[in-house]
Amino acid sequence: MAMQSSDESNDSVLLELKGVHKSFGTREVLHGVDLVVKKGEHVVIFGPSGSGKSTMLRSINLLEEPDSGSIKILGTEYGPGVKGGPQVKRGKPLELRRYVGMVFQQFNLFPHLSALQNIALPLRATRKISLHDAEKRAASELESVGLLPWAASFPSQLSGGQQQRVAIARALSLDPKIMLFDEPTSALAPELVGEVLAVMRKLAQTGMTMVVVTHEMNFAREIGDLNVFMEDGYVVARGGRDFFDNSTNERAQQFIGSVL
Amino acid sequence: MNLNGVNFRWSLIWENRAILLKGLATAIQVSITSLVISLVIGLILALARMSSKRAVAIIASSYVSVFRGIPALVSVIWVYFGWSLLFGHNFTVYQAGVIALTLLYSAFFCEIYRAALMAVAKGQREAGLALGMTRIRIFVSIIMPQATKIAIPNIGSMYIGMVKDTSTFAVIGLVEVVRVTQNLNSVNFQPFVLYTAAAVLYVVLAFIVDFIFRAIEKNLSTPPSGRLSNVLTRRRRERIEALINKTG
Ligand SMILES: Nc1ncnc2c1ncn2[C@@H]1O[C@H](COP(=O)(O)OP(=O)(O)OP(=O)(O)O)[C@@H](O)[C@H]1O
Ligand SMILES: [Mg+2]
Repeated sequence: MAMQSSDESNDSVLLELKGVHKSFGTREVLHGVDLVVKKGEHVVIFGPSGSGKSTMLRSINLLEEPDSGSIKILGTEYGPGVKGGPQVKRGKPLELRRYVGMVFQQFNLFPHLSALQNIALPLRATRKISLHDAEKRAASELESVGLLPWAASFPSQLSGGQQQRVAIARALSLDPKIMLFDEPTSALAPELVGEVLAVMRKLAQTGMTMVVVTHEMNFAREIGDLNVFMEDGYVVARGGRDFFDNSTNERAQQFIGSVL
Repeated sequence: MNLNGVNFRWSLIWENRAILLKGLATAIQVSITSLVISLVIGLILALARMSSKRAVAIIASSYVSVFRGIPALVSVIWVYFGWSLLFGHNFTVYQAGVIALTLLYSAFFCEIYRAALMAVAKGQREAGLALGMTRIRIFVSIIMPQATKIAIPNIGSMYIGMVKDTSTFAVIGLVEVVRVTQNLNSVNFQPFVLYTAAAVLYVVLAFIVDFIFRAIEKNLSTPPSGRLSNVLTRRRRERIEALINKTG
């Protein structure tokens, strides 16, 4: 890894998507998406329903296998590769997912396991670690999202906000280099949105690299270093911190106006 | 007791309780052995049916279509007599009974498992994948426990059917409840009394089976609510308590 030591600087590229195409049946829903995410950067992705935000996010950890396109993380290429691109050695999805954590709209906690076991099971399954160490780690992750007292509770006994916080703790327990969030607060009652955003805000402050699909425009404004507007499977506009106020893209402005 | 000039000798039941219960024990033995084997084969068939390899899926679904439709009586005669005619090898009546039941109920359990596996939310598998777990680990630790919980009530009613189907094995001479009853009747000529006894045995057993499966279901619910799971998970709960106190 000596070669990568120069990549440890703050504006080094952590994730790079190149020419990602994805079709469902005969319908192409991603028409060649490019995205560069730097270490520590917080990327917000927004756009109308059906524009391909989830599909793009899910391509990053290969939950959706792109038809073509490359996903480069920490110098290694994954996925099928860009059309007509050079043949390089590609990493396996299992390896890629070690670096990428994901949080879903529907939480996807394991309903038959307690909050603590929800975190300890994947830890045990993916690394050589004793049950005791896994549970200790799980407990400390729960503590950092403020849910240690609920360690023995089952998902059905937790509120949506609490479940999502467990899901975040579960993903973080595996020490990801980058965290993907797919509308993490969309399934929550309005009064529960705040507690989840608070956890995400705290995470952003620790310097975690994040890609967040969200309709929470205030939160987006707050954390978005890079803001990406998608429509019909294309990245239509992107911009930095001033994007929400100064974007010249008419469609993006229209959309921002409609959600705010 | 005397009705329409017929004399009912109810005492026969008590006098022959040992042999009747032994018949019931045989029925339970054959059906439980078959249950265990057909649960395993049924699961394999379900996975085959859901396989992306078309040929594998078609073989499994053909098996289900065929064997689901065969009555136990036909199956056991076919296994016991047909096999020895074809291959000159004789199964014992016990073996023939187990094989006959397994052939049929594997098909039913395939369908039960398939429905249960498909009922587990798609997001469960995706969460496991996103967390870097292998497909096998996801299946064993995430999908199967949830599918089993869904399947348990249906497995329970199927098992009651299996017990009842053992009654047809009287025809090959398996000394289960009906065969015992037939034997007693040929000596005593008390069909009403003896077959009432047989019916009661089946009903009581079905009642007990139902009770057991309900208990299993309760213990598999989340959070678990049964006494058994309380005992089984006590150490884990104590461990979590200790962790909470230590970490907090
Ligand atoms: N598994 C699938 N099979 C077929 N079509 C799909 C599948 N997943 C997504 N699509 C289609 O792909 C398109 C993009 O979907 P995607 O879920 O990525 O949109 P999105 O931007 O996340 O929308 P939303 O805001 O509603 O979540 C949609 O038209 C959707 O119907
Ligand atoms: Mg989506």
